Amino acid sequence: MELSWSTFLLEIFNFLVLVWILKHFLYRPIQSVIARRQQDIDGRLAEAREKEAQAGQLQKDYEGRLAEWRSEREKSREALETELRSERVRREKLLADELEQQRSKSSAVDARRQGEQRRQLELQALEQGSRFAAKLLEQGAGPETETRLINLFLKSLAEMPEAQRLQLCEQIRDSAKAAPLRVASAHELDAGTRDKIEHGLAACLAREVACRFVEDPDLIAGVQVSLGAWTMGLNVRDELQGFAHLAPESVAG
Amino acid sequence: MHGDTMSFPVVLHLGPLQVTTTVATTWVIMALLVLVAWLVTRRLLLHPGRAQTVAEGIVSTIEEAIRAVAPNHVSLLLPFIATLWIFLVVANLCGLIPGVHSPTRDLSATAALAILVFLSVHWFGIRDQGLKAYLRHYLVPTPLLLPFHILSEITRTLALAVRLFGNIMSLEMAALLILLVAGFLAPVPILMLHVIEGLVQAYIFGMLALIYIASGLQTQQMRQEARNE
Repeated sequence: MELSWSTFLLEIFNFLVLVWILKHFLYRPIQSVIARRQQDIDGRLAEAREKEAQAGQLQKDYEGRLAEWRSEREKSREALETELRSERVRREKLLADELEQQRSKSSAVDARRQGEQRRQLELQALEQGSRFAAKLLEQGAGPETETRLINLFLKSLAEMPEAQRLQLCEQIRDSAKAAPLRVASAHELDAGTRDKIEHGLAACLAREVACRFVEDPDLIAGVQVSLGAWTMGLNVRDELQGFAHLAPESVAG
Repeated sequence: MHGDTMSFPVVLHLGPLQVTTTVATTWVIMALLVLVAWLVTRRLLLHPGRAQTVAEGIVSTIEEAIRAVAPNHVSLLLPFIATLWIFLVVANLCGLIPGVHSPTRDLSATAALAILVFLSVHWFGIRDQGLKAYLRHYLVPTPLLLPFHILSEITRTLALAVRLFGNIMSLEMAALLILLVAGFLAPVPILMLHVIEGLVQAYIFGMLALIYIASGLQTQQMRQEARNE
């Protein structure tokens, strides 16, 4: 083991040369490319951060818009609900009015129908009553009833108001001056009754009258005085017909 | 390998200087490293290939090691420390090639490297702090410690040189002896050990150099921090 000064010095020199060479031709270029890559990475990172910031801003904007849209949607929904409520109220009111109208119409129709029914029933009752009375009087009425009715007729002639009597006289004068008055009765009248009738009519008409007495069993009881189209009297048949025909519909039927 | 394991034949003379096989091997290693450097750096790309990735990995690893010890002087120390590590790895491992001996098996070479480390400690220290300030740290905490500081500098430099030389020389001698006694296959485990030992010794030498230099640089820094406090 010996120390060679030549080797010692040359090794020092060699190493220093090697340091210089590697420094300039290995380390610096490699460090440079690493630095460039780092710079590139930093640039990309900065770009990525910028894009991230932009993305964050966009997200923020989007969230803001979304919140705004939600708010608008809520407002629109509330407006729609309000409109729907008012529309519903309006339609309910309309429906209630229509229902009220229908109800009134229905009530009117019901009332009319009930009135009609009531009238029909009344007419039916009158008719039945008339028939019943006619049936009863056909069997129950006799000459005495007739006499009573003739008396009542003569009494009414005697008590007839003056205006009505004059109008009656006028009508009879115009209708047939020479024709005799036809006096129908259900039963044969005796001479006294006939005279009473002729006198009663003459007194009422204030003139001489000629009467032609006929029998008409349909009258049931009472008399009927007729001259042409003019007729008056008091008999059961006419009275019953008058009773039954109180309603015009019944007469038409 | 050469027959005489402790002497190195002179290959040629450069004036008064004798070029031994150690120097010749060093030149070959230098040429090889320069060639590799040229091949790697001739077309550097931002998206590196395999060789560029390896080169960048080596440089980045060394940078990180320096940053861990002397974070403020990475670019200053990188050329010296990186060259030391790379050269020592190649030099230690080239003994595995039949007929070639490691330059680090020569005490003259290891002493040269140790002297360079010794000088670089002072060079970087003076460059960073100035001559006065640097030399003053030998007088703290008391001038009485100056001889011990000087002794420490000498012994650690000597230890650097001898440790590397002794380890590499002993490994090669052991491999040679086993080869002579047991034939070709038997030294293979020893050669594997040589690889590990070569890498470890390179690492230790470079790391110690880094620590020595960093301690020289940080002395001033610590003093300034203490003064500030």
